[in-house]
Amino acid sequence: MKKNLTLLIGGIQGEGVVSLGTNLMKTLSNLGYYTYGNRNFSSRIKGGNTTMTISIGVEKQLCSKDGLDIILALDKETIDLFNCKLKPNGLILFDSILSSKDLNYKEDSLIPLPITEIAKDLSAPIIKNTRALGFLGRLMGLEQNELSQSLKEKYHTKGDEIVEKNLKALKESYNYDGDIFNKEEYFLSISEKKSSKAVMMGNEAIGFGALMAGCRFIPSYPITPASEVMEYMGKVLPRYGGAMVQVEDEIAAITMAVGVSYGGVRSMTATSGPGISLMMEGIGLAGITETPVVIADIQRGGPSTGLPTKHEQSDLFAIYYGGHGEYSNIILSPSTVEDCFYDTIRAFNLADKYQCPVFILSDLSLGLSPQTIDDLDYNQVVIDRGKIVIKDELSNIERGTFKRYELTKDGVSPRSFPGIINGGHHVTGIEHNELGLPLEKPENRKNMMEKRLNKTAPLENDESIDIYRTNNGNNTLFLTFGSIFGAIKEAAYLSGKKIDFGAIRMIRPLPKKQLTFLLENYDKIVVVENNYRKQLASIIKEELGYHSKIHSITKYDGTNFTINELVEKIGEWA
Amino acid sequence: MATMQDYSNKVTPTWCPGCGHFSILRAIQVAASKLEIPIDKFASITGIGCSGRLSGYLNGYSFHGIHGRSLPIAQGIKMANKELVVIAAGGDGDGFAIGTSHTLHAIRRNLNMTYIVLNNQIYGLTKGHTSPLSDTGLETKSTPFGSMDNPLKPGITALAAGATYLAQGFSGLQDQLIDIIVKGIEHDGFSIINVFSPCVTFNKVNTYQWYRENIKNIDEDSTYDSSNYQAAMNKLIETDGLCSGIIYQKNEPSFLDRLQGKDAKPLTDLNLKISKDEFENLLNKFK
Repeated sequence: MKKNLTLLIGGIQGEGVVSLGTNLMKTLSNLGYYTYGNRNFSSRIKGGNTTMTISIGVEKQLCSKDGLDIILALDKETIDLFNCKLKPNGLILFDSILSSKDLNYKEDSLIPLPITEIAKDLSAPIIKNTRALGFLGRLMGLEQNELSQSLKEKYHTKGDEIVEKNLKALKESYNYDGDIFNKEEYFLSISEKKSSKAVMMGNEAIGFGALMAGCRFIPSYPITPASEVMEYMGKVLPRYGGAMVQVEDEIAAITMAVGVSYGGVRSMTATSGPGISLMMEGIGLAGITETPVVIADIQRGGPSTGLPTKHEQSDLFAIYYGGHGEYSNIILSPSTVEDCFYDTIRAFNLADKYQCPVFILSDLSLGLSPQTIDDLDYNQVVIDRGKIVIKDELSNIERGTFKRYELTKDGVSPRSFPGIINGGHHVTGIEHNELGLPLEKPENRKNMMEKRLNKTAPLENDESIDIYRTNNGNNTLFLTFGSIFGAIKEAAYLSGKKIDFGAIRMIRPLPKKQLTFLLENYDKIVVVENNYRKQLASIIKEELGYHSKIHSITKYDGTNFTINELVEKIGEWA
Repeated sequence: MATMQDYSNKVTPTWCPGCGHFSILRAIQVAASKLEIPIDKFASITGIGCSGRLSGYLNGYSFHGIHGRSLPIAQGIKMANKELVVIAAGGDGDGFAIGTSHTLHAIRRNLNMTYIVLNNQIYGLTKGHTSPLSDTGLETKSTPFGSMDNPLKPGITALAAGATYLAQGFSGLQDQLIDIIVKGIEHDGFSIINVFSPCVTFNKVNTYQWYRENIKNIDEDSTYDSSNYQAAMNKLIETDGLCSGIIYQKNEPSFLDRLQGKDAKPLTDLNLKISKDEFENLLNKFK
């Protein structure tokens, strides 16, 4: 019996490795287990090795574990590349069409299974996945009817024939006679709570969050690893009267989103580094015209095309300082899939409240790793549109006198939407007066700059850093953002050291009050991030000082920190 | 009864005296008054350059964006609220240099809005640089030895991209200009109107006089059939693009019509609240 199990499924890209992995994860999540799937892929459609590592447990899984208990290989390359990660008593299940003579590995861990063979008999390629699912399910001690149920749910829209074929394939592999299936060594412990849980990627959670937040339009241009946001919204928005439009480029995406928002509808776009570079001018337009807009940046390796399918967190400087000129923006940085959902809702509310661009800064690992999530809380879905004029509110004022950029105490002015009577006004990317008309005079410029740049200051007092204390006696705080949080949490647990760690959920404006408190109360803050220039650490130093207290752990080779690496690094500091 | 003054915000334009753009501004205001467009539902969006100033002189909701991007902004506004009358305008740089791609894709998307190109075949606001619509050989500050690129042909380009309404006008022909703008706004789809609008300061070749002598007025040809795609192409080729009037018009659904159907509510009128049951259904899709 195992409380935790990590398995790797590998094969040739385009042959359904991800689909098999996701299927297995959904089945397990339906049974109350937690899973985390880590995809490794290259920038091509078919061919090349691709893998999915799935960590399974009775407790929440927030990252990929290092050692493998099981490898399921649909091609030889999977074994060549990953047998080094197999634990001492681990198993390699492989498709029996691969000749075991070519496989350079100790024989007693190699288990050939007829995956393709029977799939061929049933003449449907997706059957191969079901075969593999049957073998894995049996090995982990899952009930056959539980697996059947999950297959029925997956294929019911494809017709009875497909369902029957799959159930037949499942039954045959489930009843396959092999020694390995008679041991209970790889059986999973019973999950504590048998409640069915959802499997979601960060990108889907952003889309779902946006829908719940009242976003009804998303113009977007496909890019790895952000496309799933537009894909999800394209699927669901029409049902709620909204639309996704795949536009001609990222410049159109951001400027159209600005137009939609000006038109009165919550709007967002999603992209990655190269798209962010293209969008900068449009984001500046949202800045000076004080038009709310939400931009999800799912980071990948840069600059230029960089590492398009690999993980990195190097866009922070670009969005923190980016664009010419100066304006307020807000950067939220979710660290779990659940955060992606809630932070997206928050992003829309903050965008409306402060009338400025809001970034959701995610990364490839968070965006693309499907994982079992805890139930999302409907009661936390709140829509707050900020200072907007409601219909008829202006019916008594004289046309042409509505002050869209009124200098108010909090720097935020009322917004009217086209169609609202007497709310008409001019908007321009040129410096303007309270009516929105161009005005370049120094005094006006100064007032407007201060209005735009000071309005988000109240957020500096927010408690935006989630701190986990396991203390202590040890006065070091490990601070990170994005998907690294899950790995730190696991590493902290595995290291056996009682350390404190935290995830920063809003980077701009920097939560100065809370950070200052932390910097005063810890001897050291070690910032852990996936980029070369220590971007988050640099920003904190620049804004708050404390140079001697702030240290860094970085990694920038296109891969996430492994748990062992973090355990080792934590050991150096704690 | 609406008058053209209703659509003016009384700001004095900064254009040079004699600039062709005055005529276009007036034509838009007259067209709007003829159609009695409710001022609060009138949205004008422009890019950057002399032409970009146009939205700053119109009443209603006006948006002066960034260079080359008036069309995505305008389409966004129209998508948000399809009950608005949306007019985008820009120069030849906006429409056929930095923003060419948006022009073509806005044509493909065919939203019910109007795009007016204020075409003076030169960059005026940067004080006289060549434009992609400048004739070969035109001497400007950036082409001291004459423009060496071939000019883009806006009419043929628009037709090739699938324009459902293409018209051309001339600042010196007010009545026709008003007429093609009225019909462009009435057209149920994307209307692109290329207006020859002389720059009296920097373009000493394509002057009022030059256009008067070279533009063929299609309205004078009673046999011309604007629903004939081939004839439209031929006319543009025969006249080297120098013709005015409605060149081509056909009916086709827009992106939004195809996605939602004609009767769908504007996005601004949607109820944003999603019930708890619906929320659970959405969540269950991930199980």
